[in-house]
Amino acid sequence: MLSLDFNFVLEMINLVILYLLLRKFLIGPLMNIMEKRRAMIADGLQNASDQQAQAMELKSRYEDALTGAKDESRRMIEQAKADAKKEYDRILEQAGTEADQMMRSARETIDVEREQALRQMKAEVASLAVDAARKVMADSCTARESQAVYDQFLKEAGDLHEDK
Amino acid sequence: MLTNPFVSSNILRKNIEKEGDSTEELTANLLEELNCTPVFEIPVFGGIAVNESIVVTWIIMAALTLLSVIFVRNLKVENPGKVQLALESAVGWAQDFFEGIIGKENRRYVPYLICVSLYIAVSNLIGLTGFKPPTKDLNVTVALAIMSMLLIEYSGIHRNGLKHWMAHFAKPVPFVAPIMVMEIFIRPLSLCMRLFGNMLGGFVVMELVKLVVPLIVPIPLSFYFDIFDGLLQAYVFVFLTALFMNEEME
Repeated sequence: MLSLDFNFVLEMINLVILYLLLRKFLIGPLMNIMEKRRAMIADGLQNASDQQAQAMELKSRYEDALTGAKDESRRMIEQAKADAKKEYDRILEQAGTEADQMMRSARETIDVEREQALRQMKAEVASLAVDAARKVMADSCTARESQAVYDQFLKEAGDLHEDK
Repeated sequence: MLTNPFVSSNILRKNIEKEGDSTEELTANLLEELNCTPVFEIPVFGGIAVNESIVVTWIIMAALTLLSVIFVRNLKVENPGKVQLALESAVGWAQDFFEGIIGKENRRYVPYLICVSLYIAVSNLIGLTGFKPPTKDLNVTVALAIMSMLLIEYSGIHRNGLKHWMAHFAKPVPFVAPIMVMEIFIRPLSLCMRLFGNMLGGFVVMELVKLVVPLIVPIPLSFYFDIFDGLLQAYVFVFLTALFMNEEME
């Protein structure tokens, strides 16, 4: 019952052999496969977080680009507005000066024409006077009639004289 | 050798033949069951008697290895089968359990602890199939305890160096050094005797109960002494070994 002999050495050898066998056939492969799976899962998680970080970076870059584009467009619109305003002012100014010029030339033309008309009128008045004088000489008319003619003549001529 | 089983059992047999007493018969049967008789002799060094327990251990080894080879095949990282999942969860549980005691950095000792727990559990339960449990032989438990002792001291030396190992006997005060040195042998002795005593005691109690009440009553007791106690002792043995290793590695 309580016998201790050489068998315990055999049992120790048995244990070592059993350990080697089980490690080779049972525990080793299982632990190996579990370790592989753990590595695979860790890898997958790492991958996922990497890709998420990448996506976030891309997103921020796009957002930057978008805000840049917005700024750019606003700037362009403002530039265009400023350009248009300048052009408008320029055109307005030009129109004003042109109108001024036209007015001035028109006034000059009017002046010239009036002067011409006056001169023409003077000439007509002179010929009228001559006509009247001839009429007075030729017609034998009454004193009263001649008086009236004189008056008329004087009136016309006098007006002319007053102007001068 | 502490006793000579042959002489005592032979005497008992003769006594039974002479008197035919039932108690004597029981004693004889018990002794027959308890004694691990040599099965054959290896004809070297003047003949080495190989005990039954060693032969049963060989059978267990063969069975375990064969089952491992059969079940641990076609392992897949993805979509594992049911058998693989069951094996993985069992081994994973054992791995976590031992790593929880001795720490993740000492995981190299885990396969041995799993192997020993498996062996002790199967040995304790193999009595159900009619084989004589190897753990009922003192040689087997002594071998297990010596292996544990070697492992405990080796892990301490490997972890902290020989110098630290030599010095740790004199802590906390040099006065306790003899007791600390004795601990090297007391630990495996307690491991070995606990396992052996439990198996022997359980067996004897069961035999006595069967003799007194052969009907129904032995069933729940058999569940306790043959199955639960066997698994519990396997657990206790490896648990204490791991605990001592951890203590030694600190």
